[in-house]
Amino acid sequence: MSAWEDAPGFVSLREGPEMPTVTIEAGQIREACLFARDELGFDMCVDVVATDYLEWGGKGVAGYIGTASGRDLNAPAAQGLQTLPALKPKRFSVSYHLLALRQGAPRVRLQAWVDDGEPVPSVVAVWPTCDWHEREQFDLMGIRFEGHPNLERLLMEEDWEGHPLRKDYPIGGEPVRFSEET
Amino acid sequence: MAVAPRRPRVRRWPIVGDPPYDGSRIPERVPTILDVPPHLEDSEDVFRINFGPNHPSTHGVLRLIVDLDGEEVVGLSAVIGYLHTGFEKTMETKTYWKCVTYPERIDYVGYQNNELVFVLAVEQLLRLEVPEKATWMRMLLCELNRIHSHLVYLGTSALELGAISMFWYCFREREMILDLFELVTGQRMHTRYFQVGGLAEDIPEGFYPECRKFVEWFPHALGDYLQLLDRNEIWLERTKGVGPLSAHDAIALGQTGPNLRASGVDWDLRREQPYLAYDQVDFRVPVYPEGDVYARYRVRMDEMAESNRIVRQCLDRIERMDGWPWIADDRKVVLPPREELHTSMESLIHHFKIVTEGFRVPEGEIYVAIESPRGEAGCYLVSDGGPKPWRVHFRSPSFVALEATPTCARDGLIADLIAIVGSLDAVMGDTDR
Amino acid sequence: MADRLRDYGLQSERLLWPTKGPSKFEEEMGVDELEQALGLTTLEKAVRWAQTKSMWPDTFGLACCAIEMMSIVSARYDIARFGMEAFRSSPRQADLLIVSGRVAHKMAAPLRQIYDQMVEPKWVIAMGACASSGGMFNNYTILQGVDRIVPVDIYVPFCPPRPEALMEGILRLHEAHNAGVPPAYERRGVAT
Repeated sequence: MSAWEDAPGFVSLREGPEMPTVTIEAGQIREACLFARDELGFDMCVDVVATDYLEWGGKGVAGYIGTASGRDLNAPAAQGLQTLPALKPKRFSVSYHLLALRQGAPRVRLQAWVDDGEPVPSVVAVWPTCDWHEREQFDLMGIRFEGHPNLERLLMEEDWEGHPLRKDYPIGGEPVRFSEET
Repeated sequence: MAVAPRRPRVRRWPIVGDPPYDGSRIPERVPTILDVPPHLEDSEDVFRINFGPNHPSTHGVLRLIVDLDGEEVVGLSAVIGYLHTGFEKTMETKTYWKCVTYPERIDYVGYQNNELVFVLAVEQLLRLEVPEKATWMRMLLCELNRIHSHLVYLGTSALELGAISMFWYCFREREMILDLFELVTGQRMHTRYFQVGGLAEDIPEGFYPECRKFVEWFPHALGDYLQLLDRNEIWLERTKGVGPLSAHDAIALGQTGPNLRASGVDWDLRREQPYLAYDQVDFRVPVYPEGDVYARYRVRMDEMAESNRIVRQCLDRIERMDGWPWIADDRKVVLPPREELHTSMESLIHHFKIVTEGFRVPEGEIYVAIESPRGEAGCYLVSDGGPKPWRVHFRSPSFVALEATPTCARDGLIADLIAIVGSLDAVMGDTDR
Repeated sequence: MADRLRDYGLQSERLLWPTKGPSKFEEEMGVDELEQALGLTTLEKAVRWAQTKSMWPDTFGLACCAIEMMSIVSARYDIARFGMEAFRSSPRQADLLIVSGRVAHKMAAPLRQIYDQMVEPKWVIAMGACASSGGMFNNYTILQGVDRIVPVDIYVPFCPPRPEALMEGILRLHEAHNAGVPPAYERRGVAT
């Protein structure tokens, strides 16, 4: 949607199979969300997800069966180029999945990139549902949301140390024989 | 923190009917915490009780810290996380094949819907085409699962409000559905029948007549429940007007599914964004504008009848698909049939690679949403091109439904709180993941 | 002789498995002497028999296994025939704690508190794979087996166990108790 280019903090737009992904400057995510809600009619925030891209692309995917753009089932013996995943701008991406209650159910993913320790403005004032979503991402990923009225741990205990879903946090549990294989 | 004012805009569809109240009842400071009003703060009448994680209601480990002024609820906050299982992190360490067993345990009442959303996400990233028989069978099982989930909701909700005999009636039908699942998949719950590419196995003989028997019987059972509850004065007193949620509040709080439809928003993902073969079946979407516990109950009752219709239509289609393939033919993703392993070297290698290393999914990120019995269940999947997912996140409808508890319970009595939490139909496994 | 024993209602297992032989209780007592001994049984044995006939569980449903635990109350797998349909919400009134579901670390403290509040004699059934050993979850948040914090009498495997499997676990507990096996906290010598 070219309407996205007017969004505050717009960086880039990438069309995806199921919804476009719009990258927004992290500091202006609240204004962008207001723009999405008021101008473009995305009434509902479905989800707020944070992803940790530490060591992304570190594991080579040698022998990847396919071409650089994906897999073509019809191409005979489509053996491929070894692809390495594209590098990411920063360590964490915070994705806001939005839904417009209109014909065709248009969806969009607003994405903001932050580093460890960088705060993201909270969008609780735009959609109250983001309260618990942001708390969960703070709890599990350690991303601070500025302006959140009650930023506390939600799923883990209050005195838990560390943020479990980060890539440098171990899976935990106890060692089991033969559990090192895939 | 007040919600930023929006430009007034006249809305028609999808909101229907009049709202149960004007304005917004979402708590101002924190949307998910009802604060004790300032004039009661120092009063000695306010009593804080703990609806601890272990409590008589059958909704699992939800902890509510409730401030009571007599019988009235003046403060409410929810503490969750008592069932946090670390699904998302655990799935990052397993290959996609092994991962399919995990999403089922998230929403353990509507388990096949969670399986479906994960499997659909992987298939879309792989750009894999699923055969028609598998699509229709998945739809049939998901609709049976919807009936199962609503039966559990009805049985347990009614049990909590005192209509104890409903529990036994609902579980009688539930046993019939679980028998059907056992017939097809071998397991009553957590069936693990959906595979990336289609179904794990062909549909066994004898399923169609059994399913038909259930489909013919179920409207009678629904009639039983309606007779027991629908005109029951006590039920009406305890559910009508209790826990109202207007359409605007519901949308602001991200509600989906029956909770949203009971607030007067005509929105169903099966119709708006059809997945599987929902655009080829005929079904109604029940919408009620009152937004109270009774409306949510009515929506779910009507949905059970509609799901029965869908199952009947699926049966009509699948019965003619005898002998058709049930899983995709792509050997890079799907295991080859065992007979081929004796003769074909490539099949042996494929089998070996898929079992030991796992099939690789191209790099990308995707968000797939379906209409689970609780609302919009979504799976956000990020793949780095390897055999294990990089990040899996499940958008769980129960997590969002519980956010609406303070809004619904505002100005209510403590007995109404039980009715409200039951009607929001939150499954704690889904909430805490 | 077998008919008359059944008339006294002393072997509930026989109702499920007609070909089952005498239970430990009868073997100890001696099938032939039972009629003579019936009026002269020790108070301990009579009390144990009564305890098994009304061992009320606590409502401790956590996750998926809770749904299967609810279905043993339902009409098909009726647990009321064993006197156990009264699920007590207060642990002070409950005898049996069926830990049904995965126990997160956050829930471990309330679980122990509930167990502590129960009054002796009390038994624990670890229902399902997650309660027995952590199940399929081997990570930072799931307790790898509930026997790390409470002493367990019976482990019922599978994910989730069929209602009949849970019933077998419960009936074996009854059998063991009738035969004189002490509850787990006595066997383990742990604080109750």
